[in-house]
Amino acid sequence: MISLANPTRFLELVRIVLPWLTGLTVILFAVGLYLSFFVAPPDYQQGETVKIMFIHVPSAWLAMMAYTVIAIAALGSLIWRHPLADVAGKTAAPIGATFTFLALITGSLWGKPMWGTYWVWDARLTSMLVLFLLYLGLIALWEAIDEPSRAGKAAAILALVGFVNVPIIKFSVDWWNTLHQPASVFRMGGSTIDPSLLAPLFVMAGAFTCLFLLLHFLAMRAEILRRRVGALQQIEAQRAAA
Amino acid sequence: MIRAALALLGRDLRLAWREGGAIGTALGFYFAVIVLTPLGLGPDLNLLSRIAPGILWVALLLAGLLSADRIFHNDYEDGSLDLLTLGPLPLELVAGIKSLAHWITTGIPLTLLAPVLGLLLNLPIESSGFLVLSLLAGTPAVSFVAAIGAGLTLGLRRSGVLMALMILPLYVPALIFGVATVSASITGPASPWAPLMILCGISLASLVLSPIAAAAALRAALR
Amino acid sequence: MTRKQRRTVLIGTAMAVLSVAVGLVLFALSDSIVFFYSPSEVMAKEMAPGQRFRLGGLVEDGSVERSQGTTVHFVVTDMSKELPVSYTGVLPDLFREGQGVVAEGALGPDGVFHADNVLAKHDEKYMPPEVAAKLKQQGVWEGASGETGAGAESKVN
Repeated sequence: MISLANPTRFLELVRIVLPWLTGLTVILFAVGLYLSFFVAPPDYQQGETVKIMFIHVPSAWLAMMAYTVIAIAALGSLIWRHPLADVAGKTAAPIGATFTFLALITGSLWGKPMWGTYWVWDARLTSMLVLFLLYLGLIALWEAIDEPSRAGKAAAILALVGFVNVPIIKFSVDWWNTLHQPASVFRMGGSTIDPSLLAPLFVMAGAFTCLFLLLHFLAMRAEILRRRVGALQQIEAQRAAA
Repeated sequence: MIRAALALLGRDLRLAWREGGAIGTALGFYFAVIVLTPLGLGPDLNLLSRIAPGILWVALLLAGLLSADRIFHNDYEDGSLDLLTLGPLPLELVAGIKSLAHWITTGIPLTLLAPVLGLLLNLPIESSGFLVLSLLAGTPAVSFVAAIGAGLTLGLRRSGVLMALMILPLYVPALIFGVATVSASITGPASPWAPLMILCGISLASLVLSPIAAAAALRAALR
Repeated sequence: MTRKQRRTVLIGTAMAVLSVAVGLVLFALSDSIVFFYSPSEVMAKEMAPGQRFRLGGLVEDGSVERSQGTTVHFVVTDMSKELPVSYTGVLPDLFREGQGVVAEGALGPDGVFHADNVLAKHDEKYMPPEVAAKLKQQGVWEGASGETGAGAESKVN
């Protein structure tokens, strides 16, 4: 029961934070979408199509951030054996996969009118697709191993091995020449996006981050409760047998 | 320690040789996939020779992966893996030696078969040399990375498909640079040596890092 | 050897192999994966006619000529060399003079690059049209592509 102490505190934290986080997410999305669609000017080259950026770029950031969260959780479960780390890693995978999928789809819809194609096999697009496959592998591994502690360790090892892909995604546009444009926000010498377009992008990024945290907290809470129910059922079964 | 390592390697090689089945299955699978491809594509020799490097590489990855769940499986079944964890060798080294044995018994035979299969795909005969070089440089990564998957899925039912889903994305860099080497040697315009060097780098890195991950996976599975 | 010494040797060997691996990759990385070749690289490598590759660069100002049907002729430049291109088909929205472009195809015997697919590459700059006009007016920034188009990037590589 000692190992449940931390999850208990976590559940308490979630109970307090959840209403605030929900409110913040709703407000940020309302403001961000309003700025994106009614305030932000069209781009001088791309016109109104540039608005796909406000969904595409935050999704891609969150896709990488979710994997980073999984990798940190993997360290937590392998080195410190923190009971929450397994739960955090397991529940972040489907959310990250969804954001990756969203980034791929919106990118594809953006690519057709701008580049003239839905898909090319350049380094950025390929490494992002590999990230999606890595997420699928992690989810499948969690599904395949019944025993939670072994599944946690196995998934943590796989997550750390796959982490090499994250810097490859980030720097693919700098290391190789790609059809995808180079970094425009986090780069040496400041952003190359005009403030009038950058502001809605950051608000949307904040909204996506809050959404990720919200979903992750909810999923973690569900997973902790699921494990508790499982443990209680086991105790009950043992008592019935005895 | 070196003596123990060599003894383990010798034992694994002897086992693989006397069983024979796994090597034969991988070679047969490789052969069958390569035979099916031209039949599926229809009669276009130019197209065939253009995509030959890619097909030879992809089919080899699948053939290598197919035989990779054997790396730890038999020793796990008969309990010798438990003994090895208690033995004088660090588990990382055990995982490395077993991956090496898999490379010798699967990677090298597949590499030697590849230029023959290249003839079936109308691969220009001059580029056979680079095909073999690229496979020699890349197949260690195939075996060593596959060992991670073999460790993670140890003792699971339906481990084959799961392993493919986990490990195939990790093969993407080796595949890209392997095919780039062979293609560059056929049509240019870039030099085939640059991707070949990267392929060597990938293999060397997996030689060091994969056994660590595989050993961790084994510990999680055996505990 | 004691257990500790053995471990030191193992870790040392591992680090040595790993650094060789990193060295090899870094040494060969830059010119191994190219999505496209710039006109200078095409000239330097003396591509054979009929060999397929992707050509990338900027569409030279004033070079776009539309002949009968949907055939378009234009010149791709990387600010040092240029290559004429002919293409039949629909161009993407973002295709315009001074913008980055990637064309798939092969050189003909006449030295013209015959593209069967043209993709537009856009740079990392985003701004409203008024800002672009103002910048142009002030002469701070010339052309639609500036210094960060496809041409400059291949120089970095």
